[in-house]
Amino acid sequence: MGTSTITLEEIIGTVAGLIAAEFGRDDGQLAPDLDLTAVEGADSVKVLRAVARIERTYDIELEDEQVFGFKTIRDVATAVSGLIAEQDG
Amino acid sequence: MTGEAVALPWRVLPDYRCFGCSPANEQGLRLSFTRTEEGIACAFRFDRRHESYPGVVHGGLSSTVCDEIMGNLLVLRTGVSVFTTSLRTRFVGPLAVGADYRCLARTDAVAGAPGPYQASADIVDGEGRVLVFASGSYQPVSAEQARARMDLTDQEARLVQQALAGLRSSD
Repeated sequence: MGTSTITLEEIIGTVAGLIAAEFGRDDGQLAPDLDLTAVEGADSVKVLRAVARIERTYDIELEDEQVFGFKTIRDVATAVSGLIAEQDG
Repeated sequence: MTGEAVALPWRVLPDYRCFGCSPANEQGLRLSFTRTEEGIACAFRFDRRHESYPGVVHGGLSSTVCDEIMGNLLVLRTGVSVFTTSLRTRFVGPLAVGADYRCLARTDAVAGAPGPYQASADIVDGEGRVLVFASGSYQPVSAEQARARMDLTDQEARLVQQALAGLRSSD
């Protein structure tokens, strides 16, 4: 993956897709700034499973303190973006 | 062929006692593997010997299963011995004692490439839900390095090298 040129918006799109899949929803139903804890049917297990898939997609490891603090897709994507930037140096 | 049982190279050693995969280790997990489209899989069910909290499988054993399957997949794929250099496990949900699970592993590693090799493994329940996500890095070692690290007679070392060479020439 060309991580050196990936934008936050692209990451938001990928993260939204992975989270939507775990929640059993279409991508378009989860806005980047939607509070994920308020989504019907959402639970911490589904979020954690989505996080694991996101980590695998980008070959990164998110800190648990971050993971349990995520509220929105943008939160997740921002953390992912930060790690990618660190890896790229 | 998908579903085909996998013959591990270590079986050439009559006294092989791998905790993860040897049928001769009575305290071990005795995992056996089958081929999948992506790599290999194993099925298992833990009992009370493997508990942490009552009815809950010890998380360390989930890691062991993942490490075992990833390591074996890489040996099968590359035909060389590998040693784990890092293992990352994300636990999404606990495994229950007495329940059936499968672990599936995959890798993009190719024989002859320099290490470390990366692999990933998932533990899924009977409904296909992933409960454990694992990934690992594995360093291939030369025959001489393997010989220095392992407790093998000369004959055993030759048997293992022949078995590994057979893997390298089979694809």
